[in-house]
Amino acid sequence: MTDGAVVQPDIAGLRVRDLHKRYGDLEAVRGVSFEIHDGETYGLLGPNGAGKTTTISMVCGLLERDGGEVTLDGATIEVGAVAAKAGIGYVPQELAVYPDLSGRENLRFFGRLYDLTGKVLARRVDEVLALTGLTGRAGDRVATYSGGMQRRLNIGIGLLHHPRLLLLDEPTVGVDPQSRNAILESIAALGQAGMAILYTTHYMEEAQRLCHRVGIIDGGEIRAEGTPAELVARIGGQDEVRLTMTGNLEAAASEVAAVEGVERSGVRDDQLEILVADAHGMLPRLLEAAESAGGTVRGVNVAEPDLEAVFLHLTGRALRDAESAGRIE
Amino acid sequence: MRRRAWRVAADIAAKDLRQRIRDRSVLLLAVVAPFGLALVFSLLIGQPATFHARYAVADLDGGRLATAFRQDALDPIVAAGEAEVIDEPTETAARDAVGADVDAAFIIPQGFTQAIEAGQSTTLTIVASGSDTIAADMARAISQRFGDQVTTAQLSVATVAGLKGAPLDAATQSRVAATDAGSPPSISLEDVTATSRQLDLTTYFSASMAVLFLFLSAQVGLVSLFDERRRGTLARILAAPVGPWTVLAGKMLGAFVMSAIAMTVLGVGTSVLVGADWGPPLAVVPLVLAAILAALGISLLVASFASSAEVAAAAGSAVAITLAILGGTFTPTADGPGVLSALALLTPHGWFLRGLAEAHGAGTPLFYALPAVAVLATIGLVTGGLALRRARRLVSAR
Repeated sequence: MTDGAVVQPDIAGLRVRDLHKRYGDLEAVRGVSFEIHDGETYGLLGPNGAGKTTTISMVCGLLERDGGEVTLDGATIEVGAVAAKAGIGYVPQELAVYPDLSGRENLRFFGRLYDLTGKVLARRVDEVLALTGLTGRAGDRVATYSGGMQRRLNIGIGLLHHPRLLLLDEPTVGVDPQSRNAILESIAALGQAGMAILYTTHYMEEAQRLCHRVGIIDGGEIRAEGTPAELVARIGGQDEVRLTMTGNLEAAASEVAAVEGVERSGVRDDQLEILVADAHGMLPRLLEAAESAGGTVRGVNVAEPDLEAVFLHLTGRALRDAESAGRIE
Repeated sequence: MRRRAWRVAADIAAKDLRQRIRDRSVLLLAVVAPFGLALVFSLLIGQPATFHARYAVADLDGGRLATAFRQDALDPIVAAGEAEVIDEPTETAARDAVGADVDAAFIIPQGFTQAIEAGQSTTLTIVASGSDTIAADMARAISQRFGDQVTTAQLSVATVAGLKGAPLDAATQSRVAATDAGSPPSISLEDVTATSRQLDLTTYFSASMAVLFLFLSAQVGLVSLFDERRRGTLARILAAPVGPWTVLAGKMLGAFVMSAIAMTVLGVGTSVLVGADWGPPLAVVPLVLAAILAALGISLLVASFASSAEVAAAAGSAVAITLAILGGTFTPTADGPGVLSALALLTPHGWFLRGLAEAHGAGTPLFYALPAVAVLATIGLVTGGLALRRARRLVSAR
């Protein structure tokens, strides 16, 4: 077993410095840096293809990095640093469980990889089963679980060994709203219990609800970082206007963007999302511009700015709009 | 590798075994299929029918060589249970017996011994029934062989006489001829040459199917690496304090144990249920372990070139079947002539079957099986060594 860990005991928590990763001509991660302290939940918010999974893969030592540094409590995390990974709990985006084994067997297997044995392992397995609400189905094959139950087991495995740092890579993708809410509550409880958490998502609501600090990532770069309140404050007193409409939304967005006083304009599903300084004063002109492209406005909503608006402000694209770019994660 | 790494490798192997047992793939691929095919093959091709002949002998001579014919040519096949011989007092009685319950009769004429000792020709008559040509052929072969030995003896007499520089007297000639004609056959029924030692068909097909499916089941364990990567469990394992070589060791260990269990079950099962004779365990066990090593090495080498589970499984199966055909898995070719025999020894299958046949030799079975064990182990180590140079890519999360 190799272990290239270099320990600097005076440095606590996770430190990520200037990470770089290139796939051929594509630079998937470009100089990503952030820190996470004990009890802090840090969110990487960005669309699919922004570089979230590549970043998290380098943070947990699954992927060789082309540049930069990752340390946990001063110990370098890299592919060969086997022992240093003991403090990390990793919850991948996919359901990384064995469907032909039972929930308990899955937990026991992964627990032993972290040197849990005997009574300690049995106790931790029971605790995680209770935490994830799977005690009653512990002996059943995972293949018979619902999607939400499998997702909860997927998260539970990452918690077995009481990690110092929990890495959650979009853990609610494909989960029904009820299970999603339960998962978010569990993660919030872990954060309150003092665990350091790195949480990647493209759901603005999750980042806003869970994370103490958020890094907005796009195109392999962190475009802005701070608490949700700090990030929202960056767009000052701007309002977000959402026009639900039919017709050519891209053309409508271009017309709207040309209106004086419009900060940003983007498309999300059947809505135009517009950042403006004074929504109420500008609304007639916005409606006129939107319909000048031939569409019809069916509804109007003026919202307080949120992280979605911040992303729009920073990138000129709505989060969902940016997802379709389809870059390497 | 440290103790902890071995413990983790054992955990991975145990998990793999549990999965394979639970999805029944090990039961189907390593036990049911080879056992069923071995049974079908041995039934289809069949065992030679049990041979038993009934002969009559009319010894009208009563001389030394007539007795030698009876004792040295006929008594051994009686002792082997292949024939029964009855004495008839006259030629007529012997001829009458043929067609009743006797397959063939040997008529030893009066003056038989004297004629041979005098260097004159004489005739040993065989009366055969038309109903059992094998028994008649065997009777002719026995007589021909005895005749050849008599001729050899006569030549020996002539040679000895030349060395002495003077003709032998009649008594000495007679004594030498009788002694040589009655000497043990130069080729015994129990084969002693290496190349001609054979397994019975039931054992042959039990072993050949076992080694065929050994290759198929060995690749199942290694192909699961691709499945683990696709499912994300490999990334999850590698995110734990587990090195990539530990994962590979666990996969190899799992495949090894699974193969060993399957071979044991097959060996015991075919022995008990269909009467296969695998040979002495002292020779068979090293042979099986070496064959597993060869199967793992080749399977890992093939998998190391594959890009997905599907490609690895297809390529592994193609290699396994090709080697099986060349190695004489479906038709016994290892001891056949020329090219087929040579091709068989290019494959681990051929060496395994050869080693198993050698293990049936008298004396020290392991000694006879040792060349096959060495070749199989070398195949495993060389291919496995080559594979390990490429195997790191198999154990990467993405």
